[in-house]
Amino acid sequence: MATAGISGYRPGLVDLKAGQISREIFVNDEIYQEELERLFARAWLFVGHESQIPNSGDYFVSGMGEESVILCRDRTGEVHVFLNSCRHRGMKVCRYDEGSTPVFTCPYHGWSYGTDGKLVGVPYFREAYHEKLDKSRWSLVEVPKLCCYKGTVWACWDPEAPSFFEYLGDFVRYLDLTLDGWDGSEGGTEILGGIQKWRIPCNWKFPAENFCGDSYHNISHRSVDLVGIGPSGSGRRDMQERLMARRLQVSFYERGHQTGVYLFPGNRLTPPSYQHSPIVAEYFAHCEAERHRRRGAWGRLIGSPGEIFPNTALHPRQPRTIAAWHPRGTHQTEVWRWYLVDKAAPSEVKDFLRDYYIRYSGPAGMTEQDDMENWNYAHAASRGTIARRYPYSYEQGMGFEIENYESEGLPVPGTVMDITEAKSSEHNLRNLYRRWAEFMEAESWDELATWRRNGEAMPARAAELKPQAHHPGRCRVVCPSQSV
Amino acid sequence: MSEPVNIRHIAPGTKIALADGALAEIVSNPADGVWVFARYLSSPGDPSRVGGEEMIFAQDIVAIRE
Amino acid sequence: MATARISGYRPGLVDLATGQISREIFVNDEIYREELERIFARSWLFVGHESQIPNPGDFFVSSMGEESVILCRDRAGQVHVFLNSCRHRGMKVCRYDEGNAAVLTCPYHGWSYSTDGKLAGVPYFREAYQGTLDRSAWGLVEVAQSRCYKGSVWATWDPTAPPFLEYLGDFLPYIDLTLDAWDGSDGGTEILCGIQKWRVPCNWKFPAENFSGDAYHNISHRSVDLVGIGPSGSGRRDMPELNMARKLHIAFPERGHQTTSYLLPKDAAPPSAYQHSSVVSDYFRECEEARREKRGDWGRMIALVGEIFPNTAYLARQPRTLAAWHPRGAHETEVWRWFLVDKSAPAEVKDFLRDYYIRYSGPAGMTEQDDMENWNYAHAASCGTIARRYPYSYEQGLGTEVENYEWEGFRVPGTVCDLTQAKSSEHNLRNLYRRWAEFMEADSWDELMSWRRPARAEAAE
Repeated sequence: MATAGISGYRPGLVDLKAGQISREIFVNDEIYQEELERLFARAWLFVGHESQIPNSGDYFVSGMGEESVILCRDRTGEVHVFLNSCRHRGMKVCRYDEGSTPVFTCPYHGWSYGTDGKLVGVPYFREAYHEKLDKSRWSLVEVPKLCCYKGTVWACWDPEAPSFFEYLGDFVRYLDLTLDGWDGSEGGTEILGGIQKWRIPCNWKFPAENFCGDSYHNISHRSVDLVGIGPSGSGRRDMQERLMARRLQVSFYERGHQTGVYLFPGNRLTPPSYQHSPIVAEYFAHCEAERHRRRGAWGRLIGSPGEIFPNTALHPRQPRTIAAWHPRGTHQTEVWRWYLVDKAAPSEVKDFLRDYYIRYSGPAGMTEQDDMENWNYAHAASRGTIARRYPYSYEQGMGFEIENYESEGLPVPGTVMDITEAKSSEHNLRNLYRRWAEFMEAESWDELATWRRNGEAMPARAAELKPQAHHPGRCRVVCPSQSV
Repeated sequence: MSEPVNIRHIAPGTKIALADGALAEIVSNPADGVWVFARYLSSPGDPSRVGGEEMIFAQDIVAIRE
Repeated sequence: MATARISGYRPGLVDLATGQISREIFVNDEIYREELERIFARSWLFVGHESQIPNPGDFFVSSMGEESVILCRDRAGQVHVFLNSCRHRGMKVCRYDEGNAAVLTCPYHGWSYSTDGKLAGVPYFREAYQGTLDRSAWGLVEVAQSRCYKGSVWATWDPTAPPFLEYLGDFLPYIDLTLDAWDGSDGGTEILCGIQKWRVPCNWKFPAENFSGDAYHNISHRSVDLVGIGPSGSGRRDMPELNMARKLHIAFPERGHQTTSYLLPKDAAPPSAYQHSSVVSDYFRECEEARREKRGDWGRMIALVGEIFPNTAYLARQPRTLAAWHPRGAHETEVWRWFLVDKSAPAEVKDFLRDYYIRYSGPAGMTEQDDMENWNYAHAASCGTIARRYPYSYEQGLGTEVENYEWEGFRVPGTVCDLTQAKSSEHNLRNLYRRWAEFMEADSWDELMSWRRPARAEAAE
C-alpha cells in the first residue's frame, strides 16, 4: 500500500547548503513509514556471514529492515535468504536463532518448506485441498538479489536494484579493509562467537551517523581512554595511528557510503599494536609486514569506522566488527553486532580479541555505552514539542572537500576531507543524509543510479577490483532475467 | 598527541602544555572533564594569544607542568 | 509539522450544558499530541523555586510538558530557563538533578554553554569550523517569558502569552495563600528538602481535576481520617475549619484557574491546629493572629486546594505543597511535588512538618496513595473499547454558581459555589475543562484573552 509521498525532503528537512537538518526526520512516524518502503525495501542490506551456515541445512535467522529473514544453505550448498513468514497465514516458519534443519515447518498449520524454499509439506493435501493447491506458487518469499562477498552475505528486495558491486562502486576497496585478513589475504576473516543483539530507545539514524564518520565525539569516550581501553594499554585505542598518519574522511556522493581512514607515509610501517599480549603483538607485526608486501602502496591505508548505506556499519580495526542498525519503529533501534577475526590466526590471538571486543563494544562494552547514553537522550530531545522546531547543526568543514586526493603517488578513491589538522568534519554525515534524502524522493532506481548517466555500468575501479578467482564473490539472482 | 590527561581536578594556578606548543595557566576549572579556563603564558604559533583567557578543550592538553 | 486539527471539542467531547465529558479526552493519543502543542507550548508552567538556585551557577533540572528544562542562575544573578538539549545533536547538556556549574557541557561532542545560555565552547572551532560557525545563533533555547513570583518560578514558550500576573488575573491572592508565610508576610516561604518525583499510570488530567476542587472524593480518604491523619489528631485534617467556615468553590472562567477555600466568620478566632506539637501549635496560633492583623478580611480566607491552569496544583495548608502533573504520554503522569515551609519558622516546626508532609503526601504518603489507586483504574477504564463510549458525569451543582458572592462583609473574587450545605459541586472541574477546550480550539492567544476585549465575550456554556 503506497503511503502518501512526502515531498520536499530538500531543502526543507535536509538543508545541505546551510548544513542544517530538521529533528523531525528522527521522530516523525510518517517519515519512518516512508523509510520502510523507500529505503529498506530498495537498498542492499547486510544479512550475515557464510561462516555462520557452513553446511547444508544450516540456518541463521536475521533481519532486513523490520522483517525477520532466514539465511540458509540448501542441500546443494546454495545460499538463500527467505522472508521468515509462512505463505499460508504468516506465522514464522523458524522461531530459533540458528541451527540446522532439513525443513522449515510452520507451527500454526504445519506447512513445511525445504531449505531451498519450496513448499514440500501440506497437511491434508489430498483430503482438504483435493490436490488442487499449486505448491510451486507458494514457496517462501525469496530475495530477488543476493550476493556473497568474502564471506559476507547481502540481500536486496528490489529486483531493479543494481548489483551489489555496482551498488558499492569504488567503496568496495574500503569494505575489503574489514573483510580481508590482517595480512592482506583476500577475505581471510571469519565470524567470532555469537551475535550480540540489543535495543536502544533511539532512531536508527543516530547510530548510523555516528559510525559513518562522527569524528567529533571522542570527548564522549574520554573516560575509557583515561583508563586505557586500547589493547596497547594507556590512551586512545588508535593513538599510534593518530600520531603519524593523515586522517581522512572519504565519501562516495553517488552511492551514499563513507568511511574514515588513516593514511601512513610511504616509508612507515603501521605502528605496533596489541602490546598487552606478546603473541598478538607478534602476530600483528607479522601480518602488517605481509600486508605491505602484498598490497604495496595501498597497504598504507588502514580503516576506521564507516557505513554502507543505509544501515551497515563497519569497524575495520580495533575492534573489528560489522553492525546492522535494525529499525524497530521510529523510536527504537535493534543493534546486531558481528565480530570478525582472521581465519588463520592462532587460538591465543582469537581468545585475546574476544575479551577485547566484549570489553569495548556491545551493550556491556565500555565504549559503546557512552554512545548509547548520547543517542538515548538526543532522541528524546528530538521528540520534544519545542525542541523539534530547532534544526541540528551539520556545517562543520563545509567547502573543504577534495576530489582526486593523492598522497605520495597513491590516489585515494572518493571525495576526501583531510582532517589531520582540522581534527573533525561532518563531511561524511552530510553524505549520509544527502543519499537518504535522494532515496526518500526517488521513485525508482533509475533516478538513484546517477552514475549510469555517464555511461558507466560499473565504475572502472570496481571492475578492476572484482574478487580474485580463488575467492569468488558469488552473486546470484533468483530472477534469471535480471543481470548481475 | 600524548596520553590523555585527566583534567577534572586540576587546580587554578597549574600550568598546562597544549598540543600546539603553547603554555597556559589554569584560571578556573568547571570540573566536567571537558573544558578548563586558562590564560596563555606563551604561544609560539600565535603570539597574539599571550595574556588572553580562553576555554581550552581537554583533547588539546598534552601535559601538566607544575 | 502541523498535525491535522481536531475540531469540535465542544460540544461533542466537552458538553458543559449537560455536564458530560467524553472519556476520549483522557486516552486519545491524537488529542494528547494536540495538548502538547496547544496547551503545554502556550501556557505558563511552574518550573521551580528560587530557593533551589540561591547562588550564581546553581541549577535545577525541571520539566515543562514532556521536555526537560534547566532552571539556573547565571553569573550576574539572573534566573534563566533553558531547554535541556544541545543545539548540535540534541543530547542533554545537564544530566543531573541539581547542582552548581560554571558551564553546561554536552557530553556527546563537547559543546559548552555558559549559564546565560550562550554557546561558549566549541571544540575545534578554529580547526574544524574554520571559525565560521555563528556561535550567537546556536545558544541554548530559552523560554519566551519567565517570571519569579514570591520565590516561585514560572515560564512559557509563547512570546504572545500575557504576562504572568495578567495570566493569573484576580486569582493572584489565592496563590498568595500558598506562597506567603503563615503570618501573612509576603513570600515568606521556602522549599523544604528534596522534590518527590514519581509516575502514575493515568492521564495528567485525572490529578489536575482532583486538585481543582474534587470536593466529592473524601470517602476515598476515609481510612486515613479514621486513623487520624490530621496533625491535630483524630478526624479529618481540616476538621476545625469545616466546623466553622463557609466552604467555597471559587473559579475564574476566563483564566481557567480555580480553588477550594474556607471563609471564616468575621470575628471568629482561627481554629486550633497542629495540636500534636505544642511548639508548632504555638507558632501556628501566633502566625494566625499576625496574619489577621496584616490582612484584615483577607485573613479570613484559608485555601485548601487549587489549580493554576493547566497543571500546577497547590495544597495551601496541611500539607503545604505545590505539584506539577507532567504529561508522559496519554497514559502516564509524572508527578513532581515541592513542599513549602515558612523561611523563619523554628527548626522544630520545620522538622515536624517534614514528617507530617511525608506521611501525608507523595508516593509513600498515606493520603496520596488513595488518590493514585483511583486514578490508575479510572484511566484504565477510560481506555476500554466499550467503556470509552460512555461519558463521565460533571453535572453536580450545575447552575448554582454565583457572581459577587459575599459573606459577613467579605466580597469573594471569582465565580463561587457555596458548598457548605451542598457538601460538594463540580463547578471547579467544569471550569478546568471549559478552559481546556478553549485552549484546544483557539488558534492564538488573541482568542484566549477574552478579558482584553472591551465587550466581554459570553461566558462559555
